[in-house]
Amino acid sequence: MLVGMSLEAKFKNTIRPKECAEDMSQYLSFVASERCKQSFSTLFSYFAPRLRSYAIKQMGNEALAMELVQDTMSNVWQKAHLFNAEKGSPSTWIFTIARNIRFDMLRKQSKRKEDICADDLWAVLCEQTADSNEVSMDHQATVNEIEYMFERLPGKQKLVIEAIYIEGKSQQEVADELCIPLGTVKSRTRLALQRLTEMLKDYD
Amino acid sequence: MISFHPSLEQLEIFSAGNCESTLALMLSAHIDMCAQCQTATRSIQAVLAIDALCQTSPLTDKYANMMSDITLLPVAESPVAKSEASSLELDGRHFALPRALRGYQNKTGNWSRLAGKLWQAPVDIGDVGKATFIYMEKGGKVPEHTHKGRELTLVLDGQYSDGLAEYDCGDFTLMDAKNKHLPHSEAEEGCLVFTIVDKPLHFTSGIARLLNPFSQLFFK
Repeated sequence: MLVGMSLEAKFKNTIRPKECAEDMSQYLSFVASERCKQSFSTLFSYFAPRLRSYAIKQMGNEALAMELVQDTMSNVWQKAHLFNAEKGSPSTWIFTIARNIRFDMLRKQSKRKEDICADDLWAVLCEQTADSNEVSMDHQATVNEIEYMFERLPGKQKLVIEAIYIEGKSQQEVADELCIPLGTVKSRTRLALQRLTEMLKDYD
Repeated sequence: MISFHPSLEQLEIFSAGNCESTLALMLSAHIDMCAQCQTATRSIQAVLAIDALCQTSPLTDKYANMMSDITLLPVAESPVAKSEASSLELDGRHFALPRALRGYQNKTGNWSRLAGKLWQAPVDIGDVGKATFIYMEKGGKVPEHTHKGRELTLVLDGQYSDGLAEYDCGDFTLMDAKNKHLPHSEAEEGCLVFTIVDKPLHFTSGIARLLNPFSQLFFK
């Protein structure tokens, strides 16, 4: 039994993750089964400096890097029971936790509304976050609806829209064919599109 | 049988966490359905982990209390099973969803008829793109279109073809402005796909062309 020895000394940082994978798996299982702080201490002193190196490169900022290390190691402490040695090594597991936390940190910094979170993408920790946002129903224009509305356009507007949007003619061609000024084609097109837009809005 | 997989490069970018989110969601759902890409992703992650964690950066004084603070935290409860229903319903039929899409069950709007034998249900994924479940009944056709942006598609059930190739359950495709296609299904049971576009489709023939000027209305 390793507990009681100077664990930090045993796993010098020069030892590569692959070479100590079995031992690290053991420590993870002690953390899971006995909340063993000594084992966690070994995991921490081995992985935290490695995570810090990764985090500084990824986040480019000391404070964010520290947050990433802290969140990752907190997950290791709290969720060690979810580690499964059959699915991969401890270093791969810890890397994927850090990768997920980084993904969500960057997502929160983004100005856009981003609903796709790391837990959806990677089942590393399989945590369930209850999030029952209301579905915002966008207006759904359908081919059938628009066909129906198109049929209800005034005859002259319908003719112009049909030539431009269905037959793919230019406005000048339509003007020449119908022997009307280009300006009239343009205003009929604009009126027809406005009308269709209003009909689509009223459709719900 | 799955014939259309993401590229190795896409799987690498995805595994590193550097893939933009809509493509990431599609890749994740494909991987859920594809044993081959699951294996590939596991190996890729192992390699990335070695690279990411091979160097150390000594902890500064600010890290002094971190370990003891962490060990004060309680153990996390075992993960509960996904509470969302894991299947999508259309007209009495239930379609199993890949794990990555189960969270979007309750963000999916009602089914509406897109045209003839074609049904759609919108999925709210935020501002990053427009996601839709599309169901093609046997003989159902999506009007011929090109893409102003990118169209990602994953087949969830059944088969369809589009004049370029035939696609089976689990197949993943990425179409852009270069591709013009006419998806239709001749499968007895029809075909369910999940699709994300970042810009509206551009319909290239028939009455559907009328939809183009209004694309901003149904693409928000």
